[in-house]
Amino acid sequence: MRLQTKLTLFSAVSKVLILLLLIFLLPFLISRVALHNTDKRLLTKKEQVFDIIQRQGIDSFVGTGSDEMYGSYNLLKEEFISIEPIDTSQIDNRIENSYRDVEGEILEYRVLSLAFEVEGGTYLLEIGRSLATIRETSDTMQRYASYFLVAVVLITVFIDLAFVRILLRPLRLILRRLQRIGHPDSFRPNPLPTTTSDFVYLNNTINNMMMQIQEAFLKEKEFIGNVSHELLTPVSILQTRLENLLNDPALPEEMLEKLVESQRTLHRLKSIVHALLLISRIENEQYLRNEEVSVKSLVSDVAEEIEERLEIKRLTLDKSLTDDITWKGTYSLLFTMLFNVVNNAIKYNRPGGAITIEGRNTSNGFKLDVKDTGVGIPEEQLPNIFNRFKRLHAPDGESHGLGLPIVETVARFHKIQLSVSSEVGKGTCFSFLFPV
Amino acid sequence: MHVLIVEDEKSLASELEHFLTKEHYRCDVASTGNEASEKIAVNRYDFILLDLGLPDYNGLDLLREAKELEHQPAIIILTARGAVEDRIEGLSLGADDYLPKPFSLLELQVRMQAIMRRKFNVKSSVLNLHGLEIDSSARRVNFKDTEVSLTKKEFDLLHYLLLHKNRILTRLQLTEHIWGNILEDDYDSNYIDVHIKNLRKKLGAYIPSDWLETVRGVGYRLTA
Repeated sequence: MRLQTKLTLFSAVSKVLILLLLIFLLPFLISRVALHNTDKRLLTKKEQVFDIIQRQGIDSFVGTGSDEMYGSYNLLKEEFISIEPIDTSQIDNRIENSYRDVEGEILEYRVLSLAFEVEGGTYLLEIGRSLATIRETSDTMQRYASYFLVAVVLITVFIDLAFVRILLRPLRLILRRLQRIGHPDSFRPNPLPTTTSDFVYLNNTINNMMMQIQEAFLKEKEFIGNVSHELLTPVSILQTRLENLLNDPALPEEMLEKLVESQRTLHRLKSIVHALLLISRIENEQYLRNEEVSVKSLVSDVAEEIEERLEIKRLTLDKSLTDDITWKGTYSLLFTMLFNVVNNAIKYNRPGGAITIEGRNTSNGFKLDVKDTGVGIPEEQLPNIFNRFKRLHAPDGESHGLGLPIVETVARFHKIQLSVSSEVGKGTCFSFLFPV
Repeated sequence: MHVLIVEDEKSLASELEHFLTKEHYRCDVASTGNEASEKIAVNRYDFILLDLGLPDYNGLDLLREAKELEHQPAIIILTARGAVEDRIEGLSLGADDYLPKPFSLLELQVRMQAIMRRKFNVKSSVLNLHGLEIDSSARRVNFKDTEVSLTKKEFDLLHYLLLHKNRILTRLQLTEHIWGNILEDDYDSNYIDVHIKNLRKKLGAYIPSDWLETVRGVGYRLTA
């Protein structure tokens, strides 16, 4: 999941959690607030009542008779005030919820009860406010508060989303640039337009590393060039000198045979150097993969090239390519790859044996199998057959074993998946998968 | 034919000179770029064998200079650098051929002859072997009015033997010519012997079998 998505999701989820928590706690909080306000209002009312009593005397509420009481409700029974004389023993000051019977209707009120003494008598003052009214107010408050919260969450989530997008824009740029790099050679260091120092640091680090890789590639290329020159020039001198000597009519016959031996040895040296240089050049990406190569015609070309070798070894070649695929690559390298494998199949086959080349489309891509009926490769050697300089099943003992490493390098260079299976005494199968 | 060998490696230059002189070419050697530049300005060469890796001169510059000459010498690049783009650049600048080091002298000679045929309009591309007519441009072999059918490799082999007649060719040299573009560490000389056997069988119907001599332990020699 992308960082931007994650950050936005995280902020949205945390806000929704806070929202849920608030909605869950809101009734409780709001009713607390409402009650608190009501209590304050009751206390204020009480002060007002006391003011009136002070100014007008208690008599204006309760006449002179000791059992008379005063009571007043407003029209909708939302509030009431009552004053009644009581005994001193009944003093009980509190604010609480209680039920009152008002004109035959039981209503719940928030009631302030206060005993007080005035003009030699003890009275109980009760001021009440209908709880239904309080609840109605608090419900309204709650509803509006919820709307407000949801709006706040939505607005902030959208603001977050936009901000994260802007904030992460440099990161997206870095990623896009990295995706465009096919080869270190094509990398160009670019400054990053941002004020976020972390991204600047990241970009600079990537630039530095890529420049180092680029430099290493260039140095390696130069090195390969120098090595080819340094190694191949002496080989060149020796080869021409041997050829001139071979042509010397004064040379005794036994010297001639020695020269032929030397020529053979030199040839070995030459092909080792060539093979190593080829591998290095491929790994140094010195080949362009810009040819459209049809695997079917590649197989035909290799088959044509090895036709006579098959006859000499009395082998049969069975080609069955039901499908074809066009692969972007370097023809000469792909030819070498397939040639080496087929040539191996010839070299290690039994006389009168068979080679089968099969190509078909599978769900994973185009699969090309080269099977032989040869000596096979022991299982413990299989992981090593693509290793350079691992001497394996070379019956002549002269092979330096770079044929298969070349196959592997070319396959990797062309993003072809190479696998091999073998059974000793039965044969070997090399499989190339050209993935879709 | 006047040849300029531009090669800073003295031993290699002298081997080339030795070989080409024996093949009746007239040779000059230049071991630096400046020397070569002077020589091509003064003399009229038919061939310039050019090593691109010169110590004092960019070989490609020398190639440009040579291309500007009025008489258009044939240029063959000989280089051990062998990077793919060097090759492409050399050929696009107008070199006639490109031979990566190490190369066989016989191969060089074949290339030079091919260029001569192409460039200097040497018409006769038909070689004769005891009455067999070998047409190297049409790649056909005829005996009187009958065509002798050879495979591609058999033809190449016969042609190569004929171009180097009276010279011992080792199995390796023949193998390298036939399979030249293929990298092989442990070539099987058996393949060449089989090709030779088939060739002998096919030609034996027309000419006496002593056209090809087997040099024991070494190779073959075509006598004509």
